[in-house]
Amino acid sequence: MVQLRPRASRAPASAEAMVDEGQPASEEEAEHGLLLGQPSSGAAAEPLEEDEEGDDEFDDEAPEELTFASAQAEAREEERRVRETVRRDKTLLKEKRKRREELFIEQKKRKLLPDTILEKLTTASQKCNLIFLVNLQKKNEDCEKGSGSKKVKVQKVQSISQNKSYVALRLKDQDLRDSRQQAAQAFIHNSLYGPGTNRTTVNKFLSLANKRLPVKKAAAQFLNNAWGTQKKQNAKKFKRRWMLRRMKTPKK
Amino acid sequence: RSTSGAEHESARARVAGAERGWRRGGKCGAAGIRCVAYNNQSNRLAVSRTDGTVEIYNLSANYFQEKFFPGHESRATEALCWAAGQRLFSAGLNGEIIEYDLQALNVKYAMDAFGGPIWSMTASPSGSQLLVGCEDGSVKLFQITPDKIQFERNFDRQKSRILSLSWHPSGTHIAAGSIDYISVFDVKSGSTIHKMIVDRQYMGVSKRKCIVWGVAFLSDGTVISVDSAGKVQFWDSATGTLVKSHLIANADVQSIAVADQEDSFVVGTAEGTIFHFQLLPVTSNSNEKQWVRTKPFQHHTHDVRTVAHSPTALISGGTDTHLVIRPLMEKVEVKNYDAALRKITFPHRRLISCSKKRQLLLFQFTHHLELWRLGSTVATGKNGDTLPLSKNADHLLHLKTKGPENIICSSISPCGNWIAYSTASRFFLCRLNYEHDNISLKRVSKMPAFLRSALQILFSEDSTKLFVASNQGSLHIVQLLEGSFKHLHAFQPLSGTVEAMCLLAVSPDGSWLAASGTSAGVRVYNVKQLKLHCTVPAYNFPVTALAIAPDTNNLVIAHSDQQVFEYSIPDKQYTEWSRTVQKQGFHHLWLQRDTPITHISFHPKRPMHILLHDAYMFCIIDKSLPLPSDKTLLYNPLPPMNESDVVRRRTAHAFKISKIYKPLLFLDLLDERTLVAVERPLDDIIAQLPPPIKKKKFGT
Repeated sequence: MVQLRPRASRAPASAEAMVDEGQPASEEEAEHGLLLGQPSSGAAAEPLEEDEEGDDEFDDEAPEELTFASAQAEAREEERRVRETVRRDKTLLKEKRKRREELFIEQKKRKLLPDTILEKLTTASQKCNLIFLVNLQKKNEDCEKGSGSKKVKVQKVQSISQNKSYVALRLKDQDLRDSRQQAAQAFIHNSLYGPGTNRTTVNKFLSLANKRLPVKKAAAQFLNNAWGTQKKQNAKKFKRRWMLRRMKTPKK
Repeated sequence: RSTSGAEHESARARVAGAERGWRRGGKCGAAGIRCVAYNNQSNRLAVSRTDGTVEIYNLSANYFQEKFFPGHESRATEALCWAAGQRLFSAGLNGEIIEYDLQALNVKYAMDAFGGPIWSMTASPSGSQLLVGCEDGSVKLFQITPDKIQFERNFDRQKSRILSLSWHPSGTHIAAGSIDYISVFDVKSGSTIHKMIVDRQYMGVSKRKCIVWGVAFLSDGTVISVDSAGKVQFWDSATGTLVKSHLIANADVQSIAVADQEDSFVVGTAEGTIFHFQLLPVTSNSNEKQWVRTKPFQHHTHDVRTVAHSPTALISGGTDTHLVIRPLMEKVEVKNYDAALRKITFPHRRLISCSKKRQLLLFQFTHHLELWRLGSTVATGKNGDTLPLSKNADHLLHLKTKGPENIICSSISPCGNWIAYSTASRFFLCRLNYEHDNISLKRVSKMPAFLRSALQILFSEDSTKLFVASNQGSLHIVQLLEGSFKHLHAFQPLSGTVEAMCLLAVSPDGSWLAASGTSAGVRVYNVKQLKLHCTVPAYNFPVTALAIAPDTNNLVIAHSDQQVFEYSIPDKQYTEWSRTVQKQGFHHLWLQRDTPITHISFHPKRPMHILLHDAYMFCIIDKSLPLPSDKTLLYNPLPPMNESDVVRRRTAHAFKISKIYKPLLFLDLLDERTLVAVERPLDDIIAQLPPPIKKKKFGT
């Protein structure tokens, strides 16, 4: 059986050769493995009998004639095609990157303050020292609210617009902080009032004394005034309406 | 015929609003105490509450609350300490270390410790370093610089949260209490020397983890720990072993404080009991000493979250909002009234303002204001009767403040058309409109830049001017117009340290304004000419109440040691009556009252009467009657009608005291014949508290 040496096997074989230590032996093995796994041959999937039949057919026909020139032309075509695809991919990537950069610049621009305020900032910072001190004295509390790293920004803005006060916070930090604080509060609540603690209600606590008196009295909060507020309100409204109706009807 | 205040047909306006307010969960000036810190140098106590407020009590000025820092919703304080002399730091579950400015009465700065929520904080014995224990198990060391604190380094990180910290008096070692174990660190290297495992239950097994709520390091190397199993344990830090174990309660033991001389310490339990431990010799003439539990004190009903040990007293505070100071009899030199138990429950300042013309009361809560119209009655009766209301008290307005900050002060104008209140960063002025029975509120939106945070707000009697004491020390006069206002003048602060919160008083004719709070004494300003008129000589106790009488323009000042002075503003000197009182001195029972006078008012038609009240009594001082000597009865109830006139005249003296309404939060004259009194029954406060530990009593 004539075995045409396929072109594609060259690259993988060399890669494997680089990895393995013993080169010659591994190359043979690689070749074997690759030949067995070649999708074009399809030998791995089909059973052996079919192969033998195919072989017979091939043996009867004459092999195809392939001149060197045509093979060379084919090879060159392939190379060209490959180069083209690579070039196209490169240009596509370039374009993509360009577009992304532009998008980022636009977003950044949107995030920044409008030009007018930026101008004001630069001019203000040039002459700001005196105003700075005066404003610092007046607005000391505001500086404390913002986080440390944002302090400078907060102060600068205030020197321009006097009536506003800014507190700059990163929301991501705040979420983490809140969740940790909640976890801590849950821990304290659990350890003091959670299951396993021997707690009782305030009513029962205050009523202990009443129960031990020689004349037993009722509990400290005997009446639950918060019970049925909606019902009581409805009853009051109904009563008022009923009274009005009663007062109206006898006149008729 | 004047008798003890019963002449006025006092409509016993037990404002039902006060009761209803409690059920909504708002407490007028009461939140549980979370931490206390005692400063030996200045004999002051810093108390932090669960709503974030930090109060400073001056223990030598009759335990008066002189300053406070308003709270913030996110600031749940877990630790409080004094460092570097007079600097106050607090740390809480939001992960920040906060320093307070005691002169400007605001927060200096808040520094994030980057360790998660902070559970404990302690200052080094030298006062130059600060140590915090965090949620993630790290112990961080900060250096205290003159204007800030600076992070120095981390110690070895532990597995669970550090709940309590204590320095060795020499500054070389640290004990840190965590969950189920205590670690001993070496300060220089920051590494753990010993890890002492705490038993989960005294002589038993338990599934619940043992939380070490407090540790204390003594100079002989003993570490005392208190934990949630109810044990007080003594450990030897050199070998890392348990020396002695005491089981003192069935519930958590939550706090510990050691005296400076290290011969006694106090622990507080969740059942409300505090125990005093003392180092006593084993036998009367032996050198060997041991720790003995000597005295239990039951002054609280709920958890005692914090204790402090001053040289002469045990201080405890907890969830039931009382601050209890128990002087130790063996440490007190002079056995007089100073050695009695002090229980501070009620606020030391006025939280209610009244509009006399429209009969409205404005209640100040931590995050909202409530406006109530008083009920009225048409029935008549004898002295001492309680008359039924024909028209109930009306809840007109529930004004919630924006933002997480607590309200510092509030006021309603006498005509009832303006309400002003302030938080730590904003000032709010609102105009009220009344149409028939409806009320509408409109906020004045543009506030000037200088009106940021006010310590005290006061309206003039004719409601045209607003006086604001800002926290920078300056006094602003603002003229109120129909829908807006105009800033008239600002009095700049005089030199003098801020001793207490500023109090304001204005004369009914609008010409004089009095302001207290600095060490310079009470300043009196002339409002018409906008200049300083005079300064009352400084007194070494802080002012608790101020008021100016209507026609005579006498300034009446009440101090925290229960002294009352009367100063004539036009004459720039004390009045004759005041000099007489000072020469004779007050009755000893008057001086022994526990609570400070929070409000003074006058009768428009009777210039000889001064009406003042504290939490447990109200008194009308009749200047025309003789003063009581120490031997006469101070509280003279109404003598029976069949007594002769002579006897009645003999027992009558200037101080007519009535204790029918208590505990009093506010009392004022509405008009010539009506008094309004706002009571705050203790039961209502207790009803709102979190659940206490169950106590099993035989027969229940």
